[in-house]
Amino acid sequence: MAMTVLVVDDSTTMVLSLKTTLNLNGFQVETAANGRAALDKLHAGLKPNLILTDINMPVMGGMEFIRNVRSLAHLRFVPILTLTTESEAGKRDEGKRAGATGWLVKPLSGNDLIGVIRKVLPGA
Amino acid sequence: MATGSWMKSGGARADAGFAAKARMHADSADVHEQGPGPRLRRIRNRLLTEGLIGTGMLSLFWLAMADGVGASLAADKERGALFLLLFVFLPYVLIKWWNWREARHAVSDMWAFGELNFKQISTLLKGRKVIQSDVLDSKTYINVVREQIGDSLAESEREIVQVIEEVGTLTEHACQKREHIAHSIRSGKELTERTHERAERNRQAIGGIEVQMRERTAEMRANFERIEGLAGEVRALTPLIKVITSIAQQTSLLALNAEIEASRAGSAGRGFGVVANEVRKLSVSSTQAAADIAERINATWKKVNQEMAAAKSALEEREADTGMQALIAELAEMQMEFSKNSALLLDVIADVDASYQECVERLSQALGHIQFQDVMRQRMEHVQEALGEMREHLQLLAGAPDEPSWDGRLIETFQTLLEAHLGRYRMASQSLTHQAVAGGAKRGDHSRPSIELF
Repeated sequence: MAMTVLVVDDSTTMVLSLKTTLNLNGFQVETAANGRAALDKLHAGLKPNLILTDINMPVMGGMEFIRNVRSLAHLRFVPILTLTTESEAGKRDEGKRAGATGWLVKPLSGNDLIGVIRKVLPGA
Repeated sequence: MATGSWMKSGGARADAGFAAKARMHADSADVHEQGPGPRLRRIRNRLLTEGLIGTGMLSLFWLAMADGVGASLAADKERGALFLLLFVFLPYVLIKWWNWREARHAVSDMWAFGELNFKQISTLLKGRKVIQSDVLDSKTYINVVREQIGDSLAESEREIVQVIEEVGTLTEHACQKREHIAHSIRSGKELTERTHERAERNRQAIGGIEVQMRERTAEMRANFERIEGLAGEVRALTPLIKVITSIAQQTSLLALNAEIEASRAGSAGRGFGVVANEVRKLSVSSTQAAADIAERINATWKKVNQEMAAAKSALEEREADTGMQALIAELAEMQMEFSKNSALLLDVIADVDASYQECVERLSQALGHIQFQDVMRQRMEHVQEALGEMREHLQLLAGAPDEPSWDGRLIETFQTLLEAHLGRYRMASQSLTHQAVAGGAKRGDHSRPSIELF
């Protein structure tokens, strides 16, 4: 059974490239253009094995989204990786406090991304 | 600052003399910052201060003298002179010198203005209007540049989306092919295993056939040899027939002689003559029977000989026949080749699978590189934002001189706007570019690795 990854990013190119990369490596992918749309999907019953989210997004940004996800009991332990252009240490620490599992800075090679995901999701 | 720049540009567009004066005027730091009006106001204030300080000091001096200090100072002329020098004369001279310097600058400024004739002032004012208008027009210029950037970004995004969609279609096909390859590997393995089993069974069956063929041939050879032996034994009877015939002929001759002797004996030999006659008849019959037997043996021998020749020929043909052995060998070789080819086919399928895995890795890498578009988009959006900021600031600068309430000061300058950018950069590369061009203190720590697991 393929594992599901929820990709949250407002950039069409990012969403498409991530979806293709993940599909190519045997993952099922759900996408959302911002934190609010992603939360709606989660409230509608989506149970991803991993969440990959951008930080700077319209409507609801990545930090607020992560905090919201961590407040949901059934998603408290789902790994959340950020994939963002933000490389500043302060932002990373804020992400860690919000409940992110890891911080990935764009651009990241496809194989590095798959490597990190497999590290976070043993057996994927 | 804005006024200074404006003066510089205005002077440059007038004649050379005017430009030189305008530059001289603009080079004055105070005018550069505040213009001649505030300077004159400051001189007025200082002259008032100077008067007040002078009056105050004289009052203090007379009061001191009245308190008797003056008497002691008068008694000691050297101390009195030092007191006057340090506390009255020197401060007064310093204040005077400072005000004189200020007044000299102000007079220079006013002289510079005074040197301008009506035409130059008219050009200056006209130039100011032209520059103001041009600065206001920069709004459209900047808007066009911003839109060009925005359109380029949108276009690059569209193109990259198409590329990714093409790659996506390709990967879908690749995924289907991967299923096909996996199925082929499974089928190939099963087929190879079945082929090996069948080949082994065939090998055993062919081996059995070969053994049976050898046994049958050996049996045939043994039968042939047995029959050939029997035929030889029958042939060996032929001399015996000759002996029987010879005995029969001698018996017949003997019987004839006996008959002759019996007839000589007359009636006494009549009985013997009958016997002799019968014996002679018997020998003739025996001779006839022997001849029949010899004829039969010869006929039988001829037939057996013919059959033996045919059987021998067939046996020799069978023994000499390598076709079946060749067929068996060929079958065995075919099975070996088939097994080898099955293994080769599995290797090929495995190679295809490995190539597919490599394709997946390379495609993943390529797709990762496409993230540059998002990085570039964010940098360009920042540039667009900065251009918008520049547009608003230029509008403010162009409109400020016409504002009656403007005091000649700027709350925000390009310098402060640029410094504010340092706090808004998301990427290390943005900060590095900024610092390489404009310097400034380093802000934010971008030194941590691009992959960090908490």
